[in-house]
Amino acid sequence: MNPPATAPDHAIVVEDLSRHYGPFRAVDRVSFHVERGEIFGWLGANGAGKSTTIRMLCGLLQPTSGDATVAGHRISRDPEGVKRSIGYMSQKFSLYLDLTVEANMEFFGGAYGIPRRPLRHRMEEIVGLTGLAEYRGATTGQLPGGIRQRLALGCAMLHRPEILFLDEPTAGVDPVSRRDFWRLIRRLAGEGTTVFVTTHYMDEAEYCARIGLMVDGHLVALDDPAGLKRVHVPGRVLDVRGEGLVAALPTAREVPGVMAAEPFGAGVHVRFDTGTCDDARVLGALREGGARVAGAEPVEATLEDVFLAVVARGKEWE
Amino acid sequence: MRQPVARFFIRVGALAAKEATHIRRDPRVLYLALGMPVVMLLLFGFGVSFDIDRIPLAVVDRDQSEASRRLVADFVASGDFVQGASLASEAEIEPLLRRGGAAAALVIPKGLSRDLARGEDVPVQVVFDGSDGMSTTQALARADAIAQAATMRIRREGGLSAAPPLRVSAWTRFNPTGRSAIYLVPGLMAYVLAMVSVLLTALTVAREWERGSMEQLFATPVGRLEIVVGKLLPYLGLGCLQVLLVLAMGAWVFDVPMRGSLFLLGVVAVLFMLGMLGQGLLVSVVTRNQMVATQGAMMSSMLPSMLLSGFLFPIENMPLPLRTVSAAIPARYFVHALRGILLKGNGIAEIWPDLLALSGFAALVVVVSTVRFQRRLA
Ligand SMILES: Nc1ncnc2c1ncn2[C@@H]1O[C@H](COP(=O)(O)OP(=O)(O)OP(=O)(O)O)[C@@H](O)[C@H]1O
Ligand SMILES: [Mg+2]
Repeated sequence: MNPPATAPDHAIVVEDLSRHYGPFRAVDRVSFHVERGEIFGWLGANGAGKSTTIRMLCGLLQPTSGDATVAGHRISRDPEGVKRSIGYMSQKFSLYLDLTVEANMEFFGGAYGIPRRPLRHRMEEIVGLTGLAEYRGATTGQLPGGIRQRLALGCAMLHRPEILFLDEPTAGVDPVSRRDFWRLIRRLAGEGTTVFVTTHYMDEAEYCARIGLMVDGHLVALDDPAGLKRVHVPGRVLDVRGEGLVAALPTAREVPGVMAAEPFGAGVHVRFDTGTCDDARVLGALREGGARVAGAEPVEATLEDVFLAVVARGKEWE
Repeated sequence: MRQPVARFFIRVGALAAKEATHIRRDPRVLYLALGMPVVMLLLFGFGVSFDIDRIPLAVVDRDQSEASRRLVADFVASGDFVQGASLASEAEIEPLLRRGGAAAALVIPKGLSRDLARGEDVPVQVVFDGSDGMSTTQALARADAIAQAATMRIRREGGLSAAPPLRVSAWTRFNPTGRSAIYLVPGLMAYVLAMVSVLLTALTVAREWERGSMEQLFATPVGRLEIVVGKLLPYLGLGCLQVLLVLAMGAWVFDVPMRGSLFLLGVVAVLFMLGMLGQGLLVSVVTRNQMVATQGAMMSSMLPSMLLSGFLFPIENMPLPLRTVSAAIPARYFVHALRGILLKGNGIAEIWPDLLALSGFAALVVVVSTVRFQRRLA
């Protein structure tokens, strides 16, 4: 419950961290740690307190109570030390749109106090890493979102930070760009950078080594994706296709052993305990409810399922 | 020790270069900074007229008689003049005007009462400070009218039929032709510098808050002094350009002279701008919204520097409360110093009180805004 503050393999150690706005508790007594070189996902619905957590960890926002150690620096006592060791990509897109790609990099490099010659060298590396070579002279405001996000990431990495904080870095970006972006993040993590990332996209969360789930300012679940699925969506999930399925869901829910039955994509997902129920009984109940079943196959539970299950029970953790 | 100092300059350099790029790429800023002063100079220079009221009048009374005291009383009773210092000789007039101790002086020659009694022509002289914010032509007309009325009174009282005329001759110092553009230029310079400095700094900081780039900036190790200096430098440069532009325009279109030292003028201008830039930062400490910042900047700098600096309305003519407020307006000292340097050729000996006031204000606001500049969110 009380992790040592300076564990050498912990990039971030958070202890009882809270941030209140008046009576409202945006973040309420959150504790966890992040290991070096891992991709740590920080998930939650709108207003759950993700950005507030990140801002405190970046030394931008004073905690109401509790504390955290980031890259060996206490956020309460040494926010400047924190800032030197981290890179931060804020949720709001915050490059200078009237500046060129290169001018943005030069500015942020200068802001980190990197002298001209090393900065030139580092910019070459970043341009190569992020694939921005052909856009160097372009005005940032005229570039598509995916390229801007890569530039923002590049700017946050100029000073070789130990830890990267990315607040919804792929929001509003097309799927191909998102995939490229995540390839880049995984490569950085592979080279030893710790990545703390928030996202709304559950498919992206699958890339994270571990995930913390926030509901209304509380940390309600923390595990690797497989562990989260095992604990929060146990049993077998059957993906059923056909007609009239949604109308038949109440009948399926009556079957002993069925834990959840929800619309999913074009069909429905029914989850049940394999000890007390099986595929045949589920499909039988659906037909009984008036559905015409065209096909059914077992699927892996997704983090989306976890998220829905956890949020539905969110209040229980308070 | 070398490392931190070098970093300081790297950071300030990066901030200043970035800000300079914003300026170059934003046509609105360039218009505000360089187009507007020209437009305003032309508008005001050709189109504004001024009322006169309560001009401080020094008196050199060489006659020291009942008649001379009555004449002074006539000038004061008109409401156009208020009585100022009594001087022993004409030689004291010019230094007094230079210091701003009076805006006009009445010279009554020895033998006024004797000449009046004999019915002789009496020359009375009024000396005007043409560099002060009043129209000398109008002031002269008023002085003439007062003299006429005095003549009528003397005629009635003396029962004389042939009126001995009180002849007013005017002598305008510093701005002999009485053109308003000449004293408008210093005032206008104060106005545009105040506007650009306060408004643009307040706006750029507010814009960084609104865009979210301020949050990004705070996540870097950039210190607040570095932000303040980095924002200040490019606008200081822009301000110097403005000063030169307005000076050149003034000289070219309105023949505004440059009697004093350009270097001293530069020092005064930089001190004034520092104060205004600091005030702009202060406005942005109070608000993070561009709309509110604009209004805050207008209220705190543009209006006072237009209305209370002596630019359009002479300070001597203001009611006491406004005159008191104007003492806290840096533009007032700037306008005063500029007029002195440009039109009278004043040097440090005359303008040091203005320099002192401007330095004090600049130091105060830059320190306060740097201290109050929060590097944390919310
Ligand atoms: N300065 C503030 N004053 C008052 N309330 C605030 C402030 N900042 C954030 N909040 C509130 O705190 C809660 C958490 O905000 P936060 O930005 O951390 O959410 P989030 O999880 O990042 O949400 P999103 O997905 O929308 O980015 C929200 O309800 C928000 O309204
Ligand atoms: Mg957020």
